[in-house]
Amino acid sequence: MAKREFKAGAYEEEINVRDFIQTNYTPYEGDGAFLAGPTARTKKMMEKVNALLKEESDKGGVLDIDTERVSSLLTYPAGYIDKENELIVGLQTDAPLKRGVNPFGGIRMARQSCEAYGYKLSDKVEEEFSYKTTHNDGVFHVYTDDMKALRHAGLLTGLPDAYGRGRIIGDYRRVALYGVDKLIEEKEKDRRAYGKRLMDEKNIRALEELFKQIDFLKKLKDMALLYGIDISAPAKNAKEAIQWTYFAYLAAIKEQNGAAMSLGRVSTFFDIYISRDLEDGTLTEEAAQELIDDFVIKLRITRQLRTPEYNDLFGGDPTWTTESIGGMGEDGRTLVTKTSFRILNTLYNLGPAPEPNLTVLWSEKLPEAFKVFCAKVSVDTDAIQYENDDLMRPIYGDDYGIACCVSAMKIGKQMQFFGARCNLAKLLLLTLNGGKDEKSGKQLGPVGESFTGKLDYKKVRAAYSKYIAWLCDLYVNTLNVIHYMHDKYAYEKIQMALHDTEVERFLACGVAGLSVAADSLSAIKYASVTPVYNDEGIIFDFKTEGDFPKYGNDDDRVDAIAVDLLKEFSDQLKKTPAYRGAKHTLSVLTITSNVVYGKKTGATPDGRAAGEPFAPGANPMHNRDVNGALASLNSVAKLPYEYCRDGISNTFSIVPSALGANEEERVQNLADMLDGYFGQGAHHLNVNVFDREKLVAAMEHPELYPNVTIRVSGYAVNFHKLSKAHQLEVLKRTYHGRV
Amino acid sequence: MDEQTNKREEADKQRKNREEIKEQRYKWVDALRQTCSQKETDGFVDSVYCGSGVDGAGLRCVVFFSGCNLRCPFCHNPETLYNKGERYTAEALFEKLRRYKPYFKRGGVTLSGGEPFLQKTFLLELVALLKAEGIHVIAETNGHICDREILASLDGVVVDIKNQESDDLAVYDSFFAACKEVGCKAEATNVLVPDKNDAKEKLIALASLAKRWGVGLRFLPFRKLCEQKYEELALEFPYGSFREAEDEDVKKAEKALSNR
Repeated sequence: MAKREFKAGAYEEEINVRDFIQTNYTPYEGDGAFLAGPTARTKKMMEKVNALLKEESDKGGVLDIDTERVSSLLTYPAGYIDKENELIVGLQTDAPLKRGVNPFGGIRMARQSCEAYGYKLSDKVEEEFSYKTTHNDGVFHVYTDDMKALRHAGLLTGLPDAYGRGRIIGDYRRVALYGVDKLIEEKEKDRRAYGKRLMDEKNIRALEELFKQIDFLKKLKDMALLYGIDISAPAKNAKEAIQWTYFAYLAAIKEQNGAAMSLGRVSTFFDIYISRDLEDGTLTEEAAQELIDDFVIKLRITRQLRTPEYNDLFGGDPTWTTESIGGMGEDGRTLVTKTSFRILNTLYNLGPAPEPNLTVLWSEKLPEAFKVFCAKVSVDTDAIQYENDDLMRPIYGDDYGIACCVSAMKIGKQMQFFGARCNLAKLLLLTLNGGKDEKSGKQLGPVGESFTGKLDYKKVRAAYSKYIAWLCDLYVNTLNVIHYMHDKYAYEKIQMALHDTEVERFLACGVAGLSVAADSLSAIKYASVTPVYNDEGIIFDFKTEGDFPKYGNDDDRVDAIAVDLLKEFSDQLKKTPAYRGAKHTLSVLTITSNVVYGKKTGATPDGRAAGEPFAPGANPMHNRDVNGALASLNSVAKLPYEYCRDGISNTFSIVPSALGANEEERVQNLADMLDGYFGQGAHHLNVNVFDREKLVAAMEHPELYPNVTIRVSGYAVNFHKLSKAHQLEVLKRTYHGRV
Repeated sequence: MDEQTNKREEADKQRKNREEIKEQRYKWVDALRQTCSQKETDGFVDSVYCGSGVDGAGLRCVVFFSGCNLRCPFCHNPETLYNKGERYTAEALFEKLRRYKPYFKRGGVTLSGGEPFLQKTFLLELVALLKAEGIHVIAETNGHICDREILASLDGVVVDIKNQESDDLAVYDSFFAACKEVGCKAEATNVLVPDKNDAKEKLIALASLAKRWGVGLRFLPFRKLCEQKYEELALEFPYGSFREAEDEDVKKAEKALSNR
């Protein structure tokens, strides 16, 4: 029997997945009662996967490494978990959890990653790359002494100069909707059009990139053929739509080892196919859920090979396979469909897990039943994060996705140059030391006044501004070098093939240590702060007398300091033009690097000891937010998204007994909390609902709590994959509870 | 100066501080009584906690009023009895609370303490401002100050029945009668202290009181998390020797009542 035709639309004339969704999807306003549990097949598959995961964990975090081959689309033969029983196929290498090497970002990092886990990169790969310039080589050919010094001191940390930059979302759905042949045809059209233009540097680069994109689209087809599947034509049913989309994503993670390789916004797209199959009886609810479950299993075993140093920065082996769920359409209909429920339901069917990074786009207008369902999933699993759709939709439309943790972009139309972050607290210490690094005593910035005696707020603030301006210029220039070289030596061929040829670019800068900087400035303004010098004339501590307002208590006196700081930083960044005409954006996000940042920063005027971790993202400093959960949320809600278009991350932990007397109350109260927080223009919230005692127990007896998933800044991790330092830091965070 | 001398001096200082506080705190309670009678419009508030899910329906801000007319030996908030807290005008406190209106979908403000009914003028002014803004307001009270005007201003009241040291519950009869009269929805709570008020006769008396007035009754398990607060106040925790109530104790008490 022939399938019902999809409703016609502009998507037939041009590459336009959004239009296909808008013309064909069915909003769902009901509850989760229709959902199906795991099938026997799914349970068996999960048993296999869990056994493999255990083995991986027992082996110290890496199950196996293929050191002979360089990861790409056609490097490995087909791999399976359990060939007969898999519904959605495709692995990164030829065996589940076996990691490939990807030296395009830098050979040294690839070599060290192998060595850290007891492997040796093969001579063959070493030799091949001895003739190649990697992204990392390119960057260091151009880095100035100043850039190297900033990087070394930790004023800038986490720069993507030795691995894939990530944070690019290919529109993987295009492969399902159009088939690869049509996509190649469209790119060929662009190639012909560009060929008629003036052959200036820009156009030549565009043409070379188009060549690479088309080349990799062909490789994508061949990759699928290794599994015996032809994806040259559009997908005809739900299973194919999911499989085609997954192949496109799989190609991306074979080619690139970007920090965040996010998925986009696929659930409602899939729902169109699933609904049609359910309608004509070729699929049952159980079978539909089974397809989603199997797809999610694949996403859960995505791996990249990293060094232990990398894990210090981004704890828990994350991949940020972020999937954005729900939200509202521009026409007022909700984009929530039954498959929005189905993908969240995987957390019950397969058990809680950190990946994929399930991200609910929250709107005040979301159907109540969906709000309650999400809140329930949060209370039960702690595995989802929330972002404000009402804030982002007016800027990015209704077909954007979140890359990594909080970075919004129109899918297939915008991409970003990931720019890590600058340490605001350390910059303040540099200011007070007249441009010297407080740790090494080296002169890093321009020579300025070294402050002595009781600090004068106005003077300190004015000097801080000078150093902010100096740093922002150097920061943007450093990123320009990195991204020029990444485009040159590690261009994302398949991901960019799944973008429009003309894309809008962002230069995504970031800050860390916002709460430490704001509280320190507040201490200088409202209390009495006197620096204490060491023998070399460097400030190593502060005498802080008197009380001062602390960020996180809904106190405008200090919250305004944080807001001003962000506005100033954002304005300063824009003064230095960005590579390829990218628009400067700013995030307040640390991932888990707040621990490393803290290590690299001396004592601060707010009373924080040298080496003590920062608060993550835009969070108030640990245990300083004492007026209750809502006061803490209100402080963060004041940070202006207008100036922080790359996102403002807040990680929130509350004990169940403080959230409500019973499960029903907790769920309702959490939904109310999200409405209240986002209603004030806040951007992001990670939600953890658990007792601190549970984590203490989990730390002491990991064997009893194997699947404790918690949310840290912008993503979820398995608690046991965090280092001891990270675990202790999580335990130190404020738990909103009441005595 | 060596570290030990340092520590000793610090300890001395702390001790002196405590003694001073002790002396002053009793003066302050008298002062509060006086100001209340003088119709002082400013209020004294120990703290405001924003974001409780367990002090009434929905998410709530809880205002802990300073001062209390009782001295219950199991008091969980002794700091509100002895410390003066912060002085607020009703407008200033209202402005602070109004910031949380976006969260009050099913919630609102809970006036607690201490005993909020002690600061009548301030309370009425605050409640009027909150109600005008459409914010739901309830109070947690010991039920010993039966004030119809206050009751009429509130959306509801939670009365904590104290039967730990006395079996005379007459005061609550008049309080619930007043609630009924002015149409203030009342609920009852009771701090369940094992081996103190969990005997069957006590439970039955409590239940019949609640039944007489048609109010819901909820047990609050006795907790000793406040021990540290007593320590900071240089006070002895009179019920320090009793054990905490567990979930089982509460279930047992509830069962005893339902089997009646």
